[in-house]
Order: sequence, then structure tokens, then C-alpha cells
Amino acid sequence: MTYAHGKHAEPKTFLSKYIFSFDHKVIAKQFLWYGIFFLLIGGLMALMIRWTLAYPGEAFPVIGNWLFPETGGVIPPDTYSMLFTLHGTIMIFYAITPILIGAFGNYCIPLMIGARDMAFPTLNMLSFHLAALSGLILLSSLFFPLGGAAGGWTSYPTLSTLVGSPGIGQTLWCMAIFVLGASSTMGAVNYITTIISFRAPGMGYFDMPLTVWGLWLTAILNAIFIPVLGAGVMLLIFDRVFGTTFFLAGAAATSGTGDPILFQHVFWIFGHPEVYILILPAWGIVSDFLSFFARKPAFGAKATALAMTTISVLSTLVYGHHMFTTQMSPLLTQSFMTLTMTISIPSAILFANWLGTIYKGSIRFTSPMLFSLGVVFVFGLGGLTGLYLGTVSTDLYLHDTYFVVGHFHYTMAASVLLGGFAAIYFWFPKMFGRMMNETMAKVHFWGTMIGLNGVFFGMMVVGHAGMHRRLYNPFVYEFLQKLIPINTFITYSAFVMGFAQLPFLWNFFHSLVKGKVAESNPWEVGTLEWTLPSPPVNYNFEEIPVVQCGPHEFGNPNLPEGKDFQYQTEKLVEA
Amino acid sequence: MKIDIREKIQREEASNIGFSVAMISWGMLFASLFLAYALYRFKETAWPPMGFEKVSLVWPTTSTIIIFLSSCTYYLYQKSYFMKQVKSTKFFYSVTVLFASLFLVSQKMLWATLHDSGLYTSSGIFASILHGFTWVHAGHVGIGILAILFVIPSVKTQNIGNEKFRIRMANVGKFWHFLGIVWFLMYLTMFVL
Amino acid sequence: MSFWDSIKAPLDISTNGQEIDSLFLYITAWNVFFFLLVITGLFWFSYRYSAKRNKKADYTYGNTKKQLLATLAIGAAVFFAIDLNITRMSNDDMLGKFWNFPGDEEDTIKVEVLAQQWMWNFRYAGADGVFNTEDDILTNHELHIPVGKKVEFRVTSKDVIHSFYLPNARLKVDAMPGRISRLWFEPTQTGTFDIACAEMCGTHHYLMQGKMIVHSQEEYLAWLGEAQTVANYANDNENIDNFWGWKWETNK
Repeated sequence: MTYAHGKHAEPKTFLSKYIFSFDHKVIAKQFLWYGIFFLLIGGLMALMIRWTLAYPGEAFPVIGNWLFPETGGVIPPDTYSMLFTLHGTIMIFYAITPILIGAFGNYCIPLMIGARDMAFPTLNMLSFHLAALSGLILLSSLFFPLGGAAGGWTSYPTLSTLVGSPGIGQTLWCMAIFVLGASSTMGAVNYITTIISFRAPGMGYFDMPLTVWGLWLTAILNAIFIPVLGAGVMLLIFDRVFGTTFFLAGAAATSGTGDPILFQHVFWIFGHPEVYILILPAWGIVSDFLSFFARKPAFGAKATALAMTTISVLSTLVYGHHMFTTQMSPLLTQSFMTLTMTISIPSAILFANWLGTIYKGSIRFTSPMLFSLGVVFVFGLGGLTGLYLGTVSTDLYLHDTYFVVGHFHYTMAASVLLGGFAAIYFWFPKMFGRMMNETMAKVHFWGTMIGLNGVFFGMMVVGHAGMHRRLYNPFVYEFLQKLIPINTFITYSAFVMGFAQLPFLWNFFHSLVKGKVAESNPWEVGTLEWTLPSPPVNYNFEEIPVVQCGPHEFGNPNLPEGKDFQYQTEKLVEA
Repeated sequence: MKIDIREKIQREEASNIGFSVAMISWGMLFASLFLAYALYRFKETAWPPMGFEKVSLVWPTTSTIIIFLSSCTYYLYQKSYFMKQVKSTKFFYSVTVLFASLFLVSQKMLWATLHDSGLYTSSGIFASILHGFTWVHAGHVGIGILAILFVIPSVKTQNIGNEKFRIRMANVGKFWHFLGIVWFLMYLTMFVL
Repeated sequence: MSFWDSIKAPLDISTNGQEIDSLFLYITAWNVFFFLLVITGLFWFSYRYSAKRNKKADYTYGNTKKQLLATLAIGAAVFFAIDLNITRMSNDDMLGKFWNFPGDEEDTIKVEVLAQQWMWNFRYAGADGVFNTEDDILTNHELHIPVGKKVEFRVTSKDVIHSFYLPNARLKVDAMPGRISRLWFEPTQTGTFDIACAEMCGTHHYLMQGKMIVHSQEEYLAWLGEAQTVANYANDNENIDNFWGWKWETNK
């Protein structure tokens, strides 16, 4: 077994350096490539979905004829179901999770807490290889007869059993999720252990950057709740492959059969924490960046950390609000509603602290800062619109409409993506030793912001007008026909958002080879990773640093002239 | 770079914490199955449902005894290992492997009796639970046997008593006892009650 | 059609739909208030405290007593202004209206609904008032109900999970195999309205459309008489599939 601190020789061959690497920095980059690759696929799928909704029955431009030759470029209804199923699955499990948790979790945790590597490097490597295997399984499912999974990313039985989905696609989907779950759990075990055991001397839990807090809470939720999903999809695989009847039930209530609703319970016991698994790293990152670029200590950092912890705990108790329309008992329904509502208290504290951080700051509008401010904006919208859905009576109407789609895209897609972009712009110099282009980043930011608000606010508008989800052609319904223009508008916005990613891609790949060479601390930030050269050497720290102050020491009036921050390795300057 | 005392302590601590977290994850997997079972069971007015009979306790009880004995022998193997008793270490290790494999045999027999009493995988929720849950557990026992084989270097005569296998042995042991406890819970809730 | 009309929620034709609409408005009012608060802070601070205008940042950890109290006060304001009120209003609506099913003695229209891929089956008890008998009135796709009378539904599904969605009554309930769910409402207007399936149920989910035809009382009776006659001679009583109904369980 290889241990974090038993140094092994620097890898020399291509394979040991880039494929079978134990180095957390390399594994982080592997996850980053993986995430960006799937982000592009998932994004393309989103555009196809939007195209169908705006122009039902018209050929998808440019690549339509190549992808769907039988229909002359038009996306057929069964493919449409696969598209939204895989768009959801890919974006949640294969794009956002790898980028924020896989890439930045791996990259930031050891560097920010002053460790030389993860606690279990072998497990870390295995975690990426399992993720790669899982991605392969998922993509291969598209090439089998009857295609990939088409039951929605939630895969509710009995639609996802053989009753509703013959063919091997759904089985492969379950296997892919199971393998990915194993990979995520391995990652979580690693993150939790590393943070508990390998913090640099002097670093208490509240001296950790809030990014690490977010990632730590995420890892804890992952370790506890991913196995629940694992159990669910395993039973689903048994139903599909071995003929058990866990989720099968007859038309009228007959005794002794299974129960499809059980899957929903299991799925959302996992699924609601999953929402926070995705958003917590972004919250941590944003809380840090607002302080870093307002050149001011994070306002109420301890309260922020505790609010995030409270939300993590609450997130495990509220899953029932996804199932109000299944008619649970009124008592359960009311309890879930009340618990859901209490989440707004810690959320309000987060917002108060974010605004408190930039209040009276000296704000530098760099690209990471812009994206972080963007997160505050879109998460404000996303969080507040959750109130309609946590309320039972309004949820009766809004459940399973585009209002839900708009809401969760604001919270888990828009906020998390913007947080992820902020992280990429911020740590790119440390990861690759080169700066990204700021002008391009700003074009990227404004294009994305305009596009995503058009898309997701538009979705909430059509949802409130009654348009329900997952429709191939909504306009067969009379009451939805008036929504054609606004659906077209949403699609335009989606294309704006899609094209706004081109400057990012260009910027990313161009800067990788031609970007300005980065100094060791281009952002003038005091956390431990910036005490190292960019990129850091093998095994990060020659000497394990001793931490003497918090991560957000900015603007201390006792600092010498011309310096407004201090490193965590420096003693807090006092008068 | 030499490994100092602090790092050595950190390593041990990390190994303990990491394994405990992993056990929590595994525990959640089985807890979800038990939750599912509880919901199915309390929904029905009579259990077993659909007019099925309870399963004969012969093979489940045998399995319980076997897995209990294997846990005991694993404990004795560990104990004699650190007391550097070469013979008994080898003996208890082999007996553990034997019992672990016998557990799978007894499960096979259990499945055969299920089939004999008409409980096929597709015979409704009662059969689904009996089969599905024992499969998951047996799968883990398979992994557990591999884990036990993973400590085979420790029974080499010259290695016995060596500190360097301590953590590995302890973790494999924890996993194996965990599977024993899970089986005991399954035995109680699914076969006895 | 003005832009505003084109994004309005569909016409509300039920006695209780307005409760949902008004609660929606109430939440919206608070949301607008809090969102304006957030973005005013966001934009104003970004403008006022940019590095250009404010060279030197304030040095505070935000953990003085005053600051903590302010933060807590914001949390408490949200909890009392929004959470508690919404919870109370929603509970009142649910217990007093949506879950307050008509009692046995009330004269209601009773309909059993069977969802299947991809259509809606409706069953009326027929002349004998008992479900799943030979004189049941069976329709598919079309639901006929009279205006001004409570309608009760019992909903289940034959194959996968569907969701019985009446946009014009602001209601939906899942149709689940193995379970029977309940719904009731009282129409206030005549006309033809859409019934939709809100839960993904397969490739042709989007085509799972039904029509709800709300008649005046007299028209309804006329339709019922006609449908009964048709049912009496056209129901295929040899076909076991026609007896998908079940015994109607009363509410209390």
C-alpha cells in the first residue's frame, strides 16, 4: 500500500505519469478533462432538446442529418426521451460531480490543508478509473439495439423496469450509476480521511478555507447517501435481470407484490442530499472568493461554515417534498413541508454573510470574482423559487412542470456551473502554470449570464403557465399553444449560452499552451497552495507548513505599506 | 525524506478513519435494504404474503453458526499471530477460510430449499426479498473471502508477529465481523421473526 | 394576445384553484422583496466598493455581537415573514379544502380513473351506483362532468406511473400501479379543457392527452342517459379487461 507521505520516486513514463498516477494533482486534471468532455456532450444534448421544443418536427441544424439519417435530421420521440434522460444523468453525475468534486476536491484539499497527497493515493487512482469505466458503460449503452436509458434521470419504476423499458440501455444505465457510486464513495472516504488526519500542524477546522469546508461536507453526504442510491439501482437491476418483483405492482391494489413508490423513497433519500452534494463545494468556493477579491476577511466565516453544516443536516430530512403528489399521509406531508421551510434560515445567513463580505471591501473584478457574484445572483433566484415547491398546495400545481425544471437548473446547474467556472479561472494558473485571458473570460461570463437567465427564467415562466416536463411536442395541448413564442425565446437563449462557451474553450486550450506564464501567487491570496510554485512540484510541500492564521487575512491595518494580505504560514500581524 | 513519528501516527489514524467511513457507507447500503424490507413488510397484513409458508430454519441457522464460528477463528488467528504462535496462527487462518467458504455452500443450500418450496425469484415480493438480500450479502461474503486471502502473506512463518500486517489484518477483520452482524440481523428479521 | 396574457396560468375553473393562485402571489411578493434586497446589496456594493472607489477595505471578521445579531435577525425575518406564514396558509388550504374530501352523505360525481400507456380510461358506476358491474359507463380520453357539483376521482395505473394533471383546476395526483390515489374538485365553468399526464411515462408521454368536458347540469344528465343506453347494449361483458374497476372506498 502506498501512503501519502511515504514518498515514491517521481514517475517517468507516460503511463505512470498521466494514466496510472497516484498524484492527486494529476488525478484532479484527469477528472477535469473528463468533466469538460461530458459537459460538452450534455450541453449538446440540451441544445437538441431545446431545438425540438421550439421547432417540433424540424431538422436539427448542421449535424441533424448525420445523427438521425432515418428521419431526415428530425429528432424522433424515443431519441428525445433518451436525450433528456442522458442530459440529466450526464450533467449531474458525469460533468458537475467530476469538475467540482473530482477535479477541485482532489486538487484543493491536499494543497489547501498542507498535505503532500491524499490519504490513500491508490484508492484515489482507482476512483478515477472506475469513473472512466462508468462513463464508458453509459456511452456504450447508446449503441445497443433500442438505445440508451429513456426513463428520465430519476428512472422511476415501473417505467424503468421491463414493463416500460425493454432493451439493455436501462440496465447499463443502472450499472453505470452503480459503478460511479462506488467511485464517488471511494473519493469521499479519501477526502474525509485526508481532511481529518492530514491538516497541517496549527490548522484547526475553522482555519480551513471555506472551499475545503464545502468539499468536506459534500464528501460526508456522499459517503452516507450514495450507498442508498446504490441499493436502489441494485434492486432495479435485480428486477430487470433476474426477474424479482421489488418494484412491480398490479393495476389494482393486490396483496404481496412490490411497490414502485419505494424506489422514489430510496431515490430521494439519496437525491435530496445529492442536490447539496453538488452545491456545497460551489458555496464554499464562492464564500472564499468573495473574501479573496473583496480584499476583506470573510464575513462571519464560522457562521458560514456552520450554516453549511446545518443545511447538510437538514438536507437529509426533507426528501419527501419531491413526492407530494404521491399522496403520502397528510402528517408526513406537513412535516416535510415544515422541515423544508427551515432550510431558508441557514440560506439567509449565507446570503447575509456574502453581502457582508463585499460590504466596504475593495473589490477587484477579476473573472473568478465575477463568476462568484454571478452565483450569488442566480442562487438567490434559485433558492427563493424553491419556496413555491416546498409548499404543498402550490406544489400540487407546479410539480412536474417546467417551473421545477427552471428552479433546479438555477440551483444545481447555473449556480454550480458558475461556481465551477470561477474555480477553473482561479486555480488554472496553479494547475497549469499559465494565466487565462481575462477579456475572453469576461465575454464568457456575460454571454453565459444572459443566456442562462433567459433559459431558466423562461422555463419558470412556461412552468407557471402549466407546461409540464419531458414533452416531445407540448403544443398538442390547447392550453400550451400560446407558449410557442416564449419557448422559441428560451431556445434562442440556450443557443446564446451554448455559443458563450466557445470563448471559454478557446481560452482554456489557448492559455494551456500560449497563456502568460503565471507567478506563484497571481491573485495575492494567502492560502497554502499559493505559497508553492505554479504548478506545484511532485509531493507539494518540501517541509510541511505550520499554519499560524486564518485563510482570509486581508486588509489588516497593521500590515506594512503596500501589502494587504498575509500567508497562512505567517503569524497574524498585530500592532 | 524520512518518515517521522508524526506521519506514522497520522497514517495509522488515517487508516482507521478511512476504514470506519467505508464501513458507514457499507452500513448505509444494508440499512437501505432493511428499510425497504420494513416498508414492504409493514404494508402487508400478513407475512409471509400471498399464502407462502415461512422458510425452514435449518439452513439459515447453519449459516448463522458457520459465520459466527468463522468470526471467532479470525479473532483467534489474530491473537495467536501477535503471540507468535506459528502453528495455531496457520491453523486458525485456514479454518477461517474454510468456514467462510462453507458459509457460501450453506447459502447455496438455502437457495435450493427456497426453490423446493416454490419460492423462485419471480414469485412475488417475499421471494424477491429472500433472494435479493441474500445475494447481496453473499456477494459481499465473496469480497470478504478475497479480503481474507489478501492477508495470506501474514501466515508465512517468517512474517508471523510482524507489526506491518497489523492494520491490514484489523481492517479485514472488521469487515468480516461486519458481514457476520449483517447476516445475523437478516437471520433474525427475515427468517426467525 | 398580449405578452402578459400569453404567459398567464390557464383559466381557473375550480372553486379552490384561486387558493393556489393567491398563495403563489403571496410567495411571489415576498420573493420579489427579498430578491430585490439581495441584488440591491449585490449591485450597490459592487459599484460603491470596487477597488477603484474604495482603495482600502474594512478589516472586520463579522463576528462582533452586533454583526451576528444582524445576521440572525435576517434569518429570523425570513423564517417568520415567509416560512411560518406560508406553512400555515398551505396547511389551511390543504386540510380545509384539498384534503377535505366530500363526506358519504354528499351527492357527488364519482369517477374511477385508470391510466395506461398512453391513454386515460374513465369509469362511472352506472345506474346501479356500484362500480365494476355490467352497467358501468366506460369512456376513454373523455371525461364528462357537470358544472357546480363536486367530482371525486380515484386514480390508479395499469402499467407505469402516470400523473393525472388538470391544469385548469390547478391539481395533479400520481397514478401509481398498486395504489389508489384520491382527488376532488368542483368545476365552476362549462367548456372543454385539457387533461394531461405530468409524469414521464414513455415515448408517447406527450400524446397522453384527455379532454375534460364540463357540461351544464341538464346537458350532463342528457349525456349520462345516452351513455347509459350505449353502455347497456355495447359493453362487452365477456371481456375480462373491461372489469378493471374496483369497489369504491368511502372517504371517512
